[in-house]
Amino acid sequence: MTRYKRLETTFLGVKFENPVMLSSSPVSNTGEMVGRSFDAGFGGVVFKTIGAGKEKIIHPGPRMAGYNYHADRLVGLQNVEQISDRPMKDNFADLAYLKKNWPTKVIVSSIMGFTRQEWRDLAKASEDVGADMLELNFSCPHMTVEGSGMKVSHAQALVGEFTAEVKNATSLPVLAKLTPNITDITETAKFAKDGGADGFTAINTVQALSGIGLDDYTPRPNVAGKGAMSGYSGPAVKPIGLRCIAQLAQAENLGLPLSGCGGIENWIDAVEYLLVGSGTLQITTGVIHYGYRIIEDILEGMDFYLEERGVERLSDIVGKALPNIVPTDQFDLASQGVANYDLDRCIGCGQCYVICQDAGGQCLSWEDTSRRPVMHEDRCLGCMICSFVCPVATPPMIEYRVVPGKPEILPPVSR
Amino acid sequence: MEPGLTMNQALAEAARCLLCYDAPCAAGCPASTAPDVFIRKLRFRNLKGAAKVIKERNIMGGACAIVCPTASLCAQGCTAAGLDEPIRIGELQRFIVEHAWQMGFNPLRTAAPNGLKVAIVGAGPAGLACAAELAKAGFAAVVFEKRSAAGGMLQYGIPNHRMSRAFIERELEDIRALGVEFRFGSAVETQTDVDRLRADGFAAVFVATGAWQCATLNVDHRDGTGLVDGMTFLLRAKDRPDEVGAELAGREVLVVGGGDTAMDAAVTAQRAGARDVSIVYRRSFSEMPGSASEKELALRAGIHFVILTQPVDYVITDGKVTGARVVRTRLGAPDKSGRRRPEDLPDTEHTVAADLIIEAIGLTPDPSIRKLDALTIGDGERIVVNEAQRASADLPLYAGGDAVRGPSLVVKAVRDGKAAAAAIIKELGQ
Repeated sequence: MTRYKRLETTFLGVKFENPVMLSSSPVSNTGEMVGRSFDAGFGGVVFKTIGAGKEKIIHPGPRMAGYNYHADRLVGLQNVEQISDRPMKDNFADLAYLKKNWPTKVIVSSIMGFTRQEWRDLAKASEDVGADMLELNFSCPHMTVEGSGMKVSHAQALVGEFTAEVKNATSLPVLAKLTPNITDITETAKFAKDGGADGFTAINTVQALSGIGLDDYTPRPNVAGKGAMSGYSGPAVKPIGLRCIAQLAQAENLGLPLSGCGGIENWIDAVEYLLVGSGTLQITTGVIHYGYRIIEDILEGMDFYLEERGVERLSDIVGKALPNIVPTDQFDLASQGVANYDLDRCIGCGQCYVICQDAGGQCLSWEDTSRRPVMHEDRCLGCMICSFVCPVATPPMIEYRVVPGKPEILPPVSR
Repeated sequence: MEPGLTMNQALAEAARCLLCYDAPCAAGCPASTAPDVFIRKLRFRNLKGAAKVIKERNIMGGACAIVCPTASLCAQGCTAAGLDEPIRIGELQRFIVEHAWQMGFNPLRTAAPNGLKVAIVGAGPAGLACAAELAKAGFAAVVFEKRSAAGGMLQYGIPNHRMSRAFIERELEDIRALGVEFRFGSAVETQTDVDRLRADGFAAVFVATGAWQCATLNVDHRDGTGLVDGMTFLLRAKDRPDEVGAELAGREVLVVGGGDTAMDAAVTAQRAGARDVSIVYRRSFSEMPGSASEKELALRAGIHFVILTQPVDYVITDGKVTGARVVRTRLGAPDKSGRRRPEDLPDTEHTVAADLIIEAIGLTPDPSIRKLDALTIGDGERIVVNEAQRASADLPLYAGGDAVRGPSLVVKAVRDGKAAAAAIIKELGQ
């Protein structure tokens, strides 16, 4: 397994050989599994959430459903997975096993209590078996046990209280894992911070209905005739994850380190999460789709990226995009442009013409014999939708070109 | 017959389609099957709608999906080729048709009967297409076929490894479901036959008797042993596969010709158990008139391509053909077909031994078609028609398919059948 000097980092005072962890989920369910992920290259694990064992955890069957787009499988993943159903002592034994056999890897214990006492006990037990860090699960959107998971985040005061309980019980650094299923994610975060949290993990899954059976009128996964508004993850939610991390990073009243997750499956996704402010990264759905082996190209790709840009330490790019993420009222509206066509590379499909007619500025006409679009720049809105459908995409045949002094384009009244 | 695409494979292929504006594939289909529309419908998961488009526009949509040389038709202008390769339109078409069959979905409807009868002579693709169009419009369509089954070349000439009998039967079922009536063993061959049909109340007649007459290099030995024409061979291989297999096991077969029939015969002989099968062709590989996909299939099957080789005569020993005398050729200037003319190379004549020689050097309509006095017969025994498929100035007589074109494509026969039906409907005032 290759070590990458540039990818070493320190997060909440804990040293990571690389910033990529398994997130708390089926992919981090046992010590044996996690051990293999470490051998594959993961820098750490947030172990499958451990409860105190007083409430019996039973997984619904089936517990997941894939969301496909045309022939692309698992663009999203819907699940009603619960926290760990294993005996608590087995989970803690596995944490000890991992710490003993992979001492350079970071072991984060994810816990969920149903009472203050349980939160304390779970935190202490985690520390006793050698966990490096805690993650508090305030965010699972589909716990079958009343008053747990995301429901804690909705009763925000509890977030602060439970965090404080944990902080008082242990000396370990504490991450609060936040739900995106709330109007403003920074509000919950502030309660956690006030309770003593050292950082945040975001996002947990997005509450969703990814599909409804046309024959059985039932959401997927169909659990014996019923479905639920439950957690949705994978590439489809990456834009929401990036947004939440950026919001947490930009909130002036927070200022705590962030562990980013939601749809990471390659090094580009990983770098994007770093650029909006994540200090470490977590992955589940990518592993459910491809297995632990995806870590190899995430690490190597990040390292090549840093090398290419002459960046010696990963932490130097954390948050680099934040100054460029602004409210829309701060845009420079004087800068306008058009879609610029490199017609020498056009293959003549005409999709640009179709969508410019129906969704753009009607600035293209169509040359039948040559099968080429003809651009009338004086009508081009510069909306760029044509470039989104143009199949000649690597490199793009249609690109934005700034036109200094471009006059305002307003369609005439229809007649 | 190889299985078609699965649903996921079909959706993945449809997702590659660029959904062109004014799609070139649409213009490439002689039968106006509208590949641009049915692929879009598949893409948006409207599988019933896709099947409806295909079957309404091309009653032989299943067969065409398999036998069409798409590379020179719909797929020829496919813009996806500008990125990687053309969309596999034939395979998508087959998937849609077979999916509808599996679902038991039949999109075809017929109008109320209009009391008019039309006779169709020949149950090949042209006749079937004409009959189906007329039946949909409310006519009583009666197909007279001298053989015992419908489908024409698809039934009698296309080998099982390309299209099974079950497949063609399923396609015929859609036509029978329209109420088309078949009269097998009924030849309509003379002007008297046609006049009788008119007297029996048939308001129009569509002649689509095909092109079944095989050319030969050796008329004298046509009925001897060791020499067979491609159509006869293919039909026997379909009807009596065990018998043909026993005859060919371990034998050496020579196929003369370079068209699809030659490819079909060669692959069929190989699959029946022949030890070595060679295609002898006088021009180069690229001049062979067979479709690219059929040539590739033959290559992959391990057929030997003996190109630039002209058979000049057969070797006959004890009344049996035992080989061919051939000369090597080279390509000279283009002839009137636009292909370079083969020229014999001196002192290259030699004998190639064979246990069986299959001649597949061209088909023409049967000369007996001349017995239909009202028709005008042109070059190559082909019936002369106007642009509306009308074959007689005086009588409501129409013709189409291979009987008019000479050996051609199923999809063009479908085009002719549709065009004739449209003209008949117009003439009879419907």
